Amino acid sequence: MDLGKLKDDQKLDLCRWYFRGGFAFLPFLWAINAVWFFWEAFRRNPFEEQKLIRRYVILSAIGVAIWAAGLTTWIIIFQTNRAEWGEFADKISFTIPQGIP
Amino acid sequence: MSANQSGSEHTALMDAVVQQSEPPNYGTDRQTRQRPNKRTRSSVPVQGTGNPSRDDPSPPTVSRSPGQYDDRARLNDGTGPSGQEMYMDEEEELKYGAKHVIKLFVPVSLCMLVVVATISSISFYTTKDVYLLYTPFHEKSSDPGTKIWNALANAGILLIVIVIMTFILILLYKYRFYKVIHGWLILSSLMLLFVFAYLYLEEVLRAYNVPMDYFTLAVIMWNVGVVGMICIHWKGPLRLQQAYLIFIAALMALVFIKYLPDWTSWVVLAVISIWDLVAVLTPKGPLRILVETAQERNEQIFPALIYSSAVAYTVVGMADRGGETTGDETRPAARQAQRQERGQSGAGDDNGGFSEEWANQVTHAINTRVLAGQPGNYTASTENAPQQHGPFMEADDEERGIKLGLGDFIFYSVLVGKVSSYGDWNMTLACFIAILIGLCLTLLLLAIIKKALPALPISITFGLIFYFSTREIVKPFTDLLASEQVFI
Repeated sequence: MDLGKLKDDQKLDLCRWYFRGGFAFLPFLWAINAVWFFWEAFRRNPFEEQKLIRRYVILSAIGVAIWAAGLTTWIIIFQTNRAEWGEFADKISFTIPQGIP
Repeated sequence: MSANQSGSEHTALMDAVVQQSEPPNYGTDRQTRQRPNKRTRSSVPVQGTGNPSRDDPSPPTVSRSPGQYDDRARLNDGTGPSGQEMYMDEEEELKYGAKHVIKLFVPVSLCMLVVVATISSISFYTTKDVYLLYTPFHEKSSDPGTKIWNALANAGILLIVIVIMTFILILLYKYRFYKVIHGWLILSSLMLLFVFAYLYLEEVLRAYNVPMDYFTLAVIMWNVGVVGMICIHWKGPLRLQQAYLIFIAALMALVFIKYLPDWTSWVVLAVISIWDLVAVLTPKGPLRILVETAQERNEQIFPALIYSSAVAYTVVGMADRGGETTGDETRPAARQAQRQERGQSGAGDDNGGFSEEWANQVTHAINTRVLAGQPGNYTASTENAPQQHGPFMEADDEERGIKLGLGDFIFYSVLVGKVSSYGDWNMTLACFIAILIGLCLTLLLLAIIKKALPALPISITFGLIFYFSTREIVKPFTDLLASEQVFI
């Protein structure tokens, strides 16, 4: 759908919904929120709801950054230590590389 | 497997309906504006083809980008309906079509690319072990006669299932069980996004020997799946929605390629495109009924399963609108007035010199063209909202552009993927080009005939012809040339 069709208060609702939805372990929603509403929040001429939208956009961006940092750290730890952890690593592994046959 | 199948069925069916009006959540204003158009729809084809007897001199041109076509349109305006003008009308319509054909090429090619890449890198999708519930005959025998018989029987069963699903859908739609249909749609996309995406991810990781832990997997699946559901069925950026639709179509195509026996899939392709033809073009064809009912009710088709090419204009629309128009959006009268004003004042406006009637007329002229695919398939339609006028254009973004049902994506990809699974890139390319040519021709017909058309028959026929002729004629020929060291 197209943001341009929404009225400003609807945009705010949508932005807020996306922000709140992100707390359900959905950093992807925050990422979308931050990108999608960026223009509304920072580029457009000031309008009534802009302050709130800007706040949600910034908070979403921070949330994504934290998630990205956390997930990257975990993945790096897991990938580098997988062999050492032995059985434990195998237990939490979804796929275990078997090499090229 | 049965659930999966029903999901696909379902998809197929839904798309047949033309996306006419906008979702109820926003823009009541547009609905009110659209209604008048609907009433005059019956006269559409006549106007669109430039009938000389019409008294309005303004051409039903679709000037998509005002900058490009404006001069021409202006030239026509006021000259009255001459032969040359009619010629121009046709030409412009075709141009309009061509532009949008290109826009459809991208997603269709992307979908095929995903399928072909997957097929050629992941062996899981080409190994045959399990089959769909609907294909009880597994072509185990080495005798071609038995294989053909098996393939025909399988395809017949599948076709019967599809026909039944189509009629169930029509009944549900006719008696307005929208909740049931939505539930059905949501369930099937849920399955595709979670179950099949999960299987897909697993096979990709396995093929590339990438280790992954359950935590990361859970985060990825949860995010991709839930966001997909939100974007497809609720509100999300158009680009993302399109990406998800392409992904879903590709997944479905991969499922078909994997779970249909070899010869059956070829017969199924042929049978489906014939069914597509019947369902859309015969007077009592189910898809035709579906499309007509949707038009009658002036309804938006379930957002999930139609791909709409309308993107570029969205951006323009957004750029155009400052805060100025927002206040008026729910008041059609105000907008109408505003529009009129612009139409009259002319100068400084993109549509300079064009009157309100002109705008309306154009709107009527091209209202809906649908290319409906097979039951499942999916529909392509062009809908134009020709109001190019500055801030107003955004209102119609969602319904301009060509729409192609996901089913078309699926079966195009099945054909190309199937061919690529034999590992010959010449044949894959030949089929890819054949399908795009078929799509072009279908859209050309769409511009001429201006009503719902099945998108599968031409493309699939071309694809099949190209495949078998390449395999039986071109390949032996090139092999011979290569072995004789002849270079042409």
